Amino acid sequence: MKPAAFGYLTPRTREEAIEVLSRYAGDAKVLAGGQSLVPLLNFRLTSFRYLVDINRIPDLDYIRSEQGYLAIGALARHRSVEQSAEAARECPLLPEALQFVGHPVIRQRGTVCGSIAHADPSAELPALLTALGGSVVLEGSSGRRVADAEEYFLGYLMTAQQPDELLVEARFPKLPNGSGFAFEELARRHGDFAIVGVACAALPDGSVRLGVCGANSVPFRPLKAETAAAQGDLQEAGRLAAADSDPDSDLHATAEYRRAMVSKLVERAVRHALERKEGNARG
Amino acid sequence: MPEAIGVAQRRLEGGDKVSGRTAYVADVRVPNALHAELVSSPYAHARVVSIDRTAAEAMPGVVAVLTADEIGSLGLLAKGEVFYAGQPVAVVVADDRRLAADAAQVVRVRYERLPAVVDPVAALREDAPAVLPAELRSQRADAGAHGADAAQHAASQRANVCGEAHFARGDVEQGLRLADVVVEARYRIPALYQGYLEPHGTVAVPEGDRLTVYTTTQGQFAVREEVCQATGLPEHRVKVVGMQVGGGFGAKFVKLEPLCAALALRLRQPVRLVLSRSGDFLTSRPGNFAEIGVRLGARRDGTLTALAADLLLDAGAQEDGTVGIAAMLIGSTYRVPHLLVDGYEVLTHKTPSGAYRAPGAPQAYYALESAMDELARKLGQDPFELRLRSACQQGDPRANGAPWPRIGLVETLEAARNHPFWRERSRQADEGYGVAAGGWPGGTEPAAAACRINGDGSITVQVGSVDITGTNTVFAQMAAQVFGVRADAVAVSAADTDAAPYSGSSGGSKITFTVGNAVLQAAQDARQQVLEMAAQELEASASDLDMAEGRVFVRGAPSRAVSVADLARSTTAFGGSAAPLVGRGRVAIKRASPGFAVHVARVRVDRRTGEVQPIGYLAVQDVGRALNPMAVAGQIRGGVSQSLGRALGEAMRWGDSGQLLTGSFLDYAVPRAADVPPIEVELVEVPAEEGPFGAKGVGEPPAVPGAAAIANAVADATGVRVRDLPLRPETVLAALAGETS
Repeated sequence: MKPAAFGYLTPRTREEAIEVLSRYAGDAKVLAGGQSLVPLLNFRLTSFRYLVDINRIPDLDYIRSEQGYLAIGALARHRSVEQSAEAARECPLLPEALQFVGHPVIRQRGTVCGSIAHADPSAELPALLTALGGSVVLEGSSGRRVADAEEYFLGYLMTAQQPDELLVEARFPKLPNGSGFAFEELARRHGDFAIVGVACAALPDGSVRLGVCGANSVPFRPLKAETAAAQGDLQEAGRLAAADSDPDSDLHATAEYRRAMVSKLVERAVRHALERKEGNARG
Repeated sequence: MPEAIGVAQRRLEGGDKVSGRTAYVADVRVPNALHAELVSSPYAHARVVSIDRTAAEAMPGVVAVLTADEIGSLGLLAKGEVFYAGQPVAVVVADDRRLAADAAQVVRVRYERLPAVVDPVAALREDAPAVLPAELRSQRADAGAHGADAAQHAASQRANVCGEAHFARGDVEQGLRLADVVVEARYRIPALYQGYLEPHGTVAVPEGDRLTVYTTTQGQFAVREEVCQATGLPEHRVKVVGMQVGGGFGAKFVKLEPLCAALALRLRQPVRLVLSRSGDFLTSRPGNFAEIGVRLGARRDGTLTALAADLLLDAGAQEDGTVGIAAMLIGSTYRVPHLLVDGYEVLTHKTPSGAYRAPGAPQAYYALESAMDELARKLGQDPFELRLRSACQQGDPRANGAPWPRIGLVETLEAARNHPFWRERSRQADEGYGVAAGGWPGGTEPAAAACRINGDGSITVQVGSVDITGTNTVFAQMAAQVFGVRADAVAVSAADTDAAPYSGSSGGSKITFTVGNAVLQAAQDARQQVLEMAAQELEASASDLDMAEGRVFVRGAPSRAVSVADLARSTTAFGGSAAPLVGRGRVAIKRASPGFAVHVARVRVDRRTGEVQPIGYLAVQDVGRALNPMAVAGQIRGGVSQSLGRALGEAMRWGDSGQLLTGSFLDYAVPRAADVPPIEVELVEVPAEEGPFGAKGVGEPPAVPGAAAIANAVADATGVRVRDLPLRPETVLAALAGETS
């Protein structure tokens, strides 16, 4: 069916957006690309009294190279980031992971920040943000703050964002020259929600960073697996990551299978990232 | 003279479809139309205690909230008791679609939950509670139950058996004892949603003492018949307008039309009932779940000695009848001296099963062709050699003993075996090839058609069939061939039930075969009328005349000629002297044209994740005569794609208490473009005696062998057999780990 009726607000500035968000706290939801929100509304799985469409707010559609990180504005579409030269140069793992987000038509409209704010545990970008130790910038009636990925994602579709806050920017740490990286995913079909996904960055200092989606109520970094991976023990890394996951069973995969796939995909992602790092070093 | 038959011809309606200009039923705009929304039961089995409509009725713009108590069940609404989750218990009618949906959410229904029988195996048990009360049971749907010893089986004692089929020949136990090798296995294939793009929808418009029904259906005359039965109107007062269909695959015969018609008549206003995708899933009529046990015995050289098969099909909450086809096909494909087939269909508290492209056949052939593959592996034989040794030909007995007419199974197997895709196969690590055959008996139904020569000599063909696969294009080609013109000189008018000659529903792979014959006859009749007019004009005998490119001429003296347009003009002029040119075709073909297909799949299996990737595919099919090779190849590619879904991802699944778990395309995974490998198509032409130009029905066979071909390829790649579809990565991985199979 189509959504239940809602009020449609179109603030022209961030301040206006924050103002209506705090006025209707809890009854208002931000609409950016709408690729997760609109299906939920159409299925009537959720409803809000107001949708706050932020698409008319200027200066939110940007991809900027900052000191140490790539800044993605709230209205930057998946597709723009996927095709951005800055992203390819500074954080190539980001465009790689974006290949797995839905399909081109979805990425044309959907936003990177929207995907993060939606906090689906099977989504790719929250896992990537977590793996890299990125952060988000939130603006609300009590000001502006920066939240680290690990404190931002609280649970299934739950974040530390307050009802009056707007996620204005996501910050993806840059990968230093000489890094290797990989994103591996298992889904029923390409573009479906991941059964399990793994982001991996092998850094020039020898450390390895991992982020896993689909295996917990939040994306997570398997720290012990990172250590094993840095020591070159791929199988052990996979085993430790699987041991650290706590997936649920659902229609599409049992918890056991998900856990087993965490192991395989971590192994595969680390191998792939290390190979690329090797190639970068030689090149 | 240009050949119109056997030439690739773009579909007449194709341009409008791909450019978005086609109007579907949801696009029908009628002034003052009301919008209906269904209120569905969340429970699979429940007594309806009360329905409180006050809140819904109080909403401004809500016109009515109605239940079966006022308007009857109409094939859809629950009356006092609900038999499947998603069954509508009430219908809200309002000025506006969204309002109707809002109001449907505040209709308060109180249910008393009753135990639900969800599992078909449990439903078959003798102590199982009856799924339906006796008054909702019709005559036993046992169309296929004419086996020699049907009487021996006392399954009818079981409360939920609603159809059965039994065939026997020889002594199957003796046959199995004679075998050197026996395969014994059970196969399961899930219920499947047909996955059409366009959900069901109907618009009913009362006009004086008449009713017009716009709908998406494969059979407009079938809709008219059921609407008339439901409303009491005679057939000449109901006009059904069959719209362009956005995919049917067996799911679109009659569903919403009687309800929508009854609402429109009661409220004396047009009513529009268009389902959302979720609503469509909830009330879908999926292809049957089947569990099929096979025991197959053979001599060392591959000669079959015995085939025993037991089939269990899930009918859902309404009697069905598919088991007869499945049982017949499983026992009719290979020559085997000792045969025993026992098929049962059981009722369960789930959405009623319906037809899905070759109903019963993909299930039967998944089991049969998997077992044949297992046998070939045990014997160490080539899969084609094993099949060719026993493949049925003309005169061989079917399961019921009746001899096959001329069929092309052997020719199709040979063509596949000789194709480079198989002959030059090369296997990388973790890759495999799988072979499977499959067939469909074909269908018949009386049909009529008209062929008019317009005043300018152009040609209009009139039919009443719904074009779901390009049949109108083929009709244009047929008439063009008869008149020696190009296909675009012919218009095909698929008119509504008021204007069109009768045609059966577009299902069973029979429209080209039956309506096509009527079109051919009508065109030949019209041609003869033209020749007779020309004979007078040219002072020659009609038998000495020929026709091409709009001219009639004396054979051997082409300068003695007259244009068809000149002749036709005198039939439409004021004061004209000749009667209008109208050819008529009417046929009742009695013998169907069975069609066989052989598929070869190539897959790659990821042993770490269990993922199966089809990387190549060959589909060979006997089509009798390919009237439009482009359309035939398209049909075949579509059938293969659906088979890939059946094999690898699709399944309608229900929870333990009968709730549908796969209620959207998010959870029900049909293959997408990226999931379909390149498909090579090879056509075999063993003409059908009664088919127009030798053509056979081609729609259903390509959906039949694919699941077994994929499963056999996976077995070839891994050495491991998974017998329960779909072959999800998790299932395959577990099998590889030796946990199952």
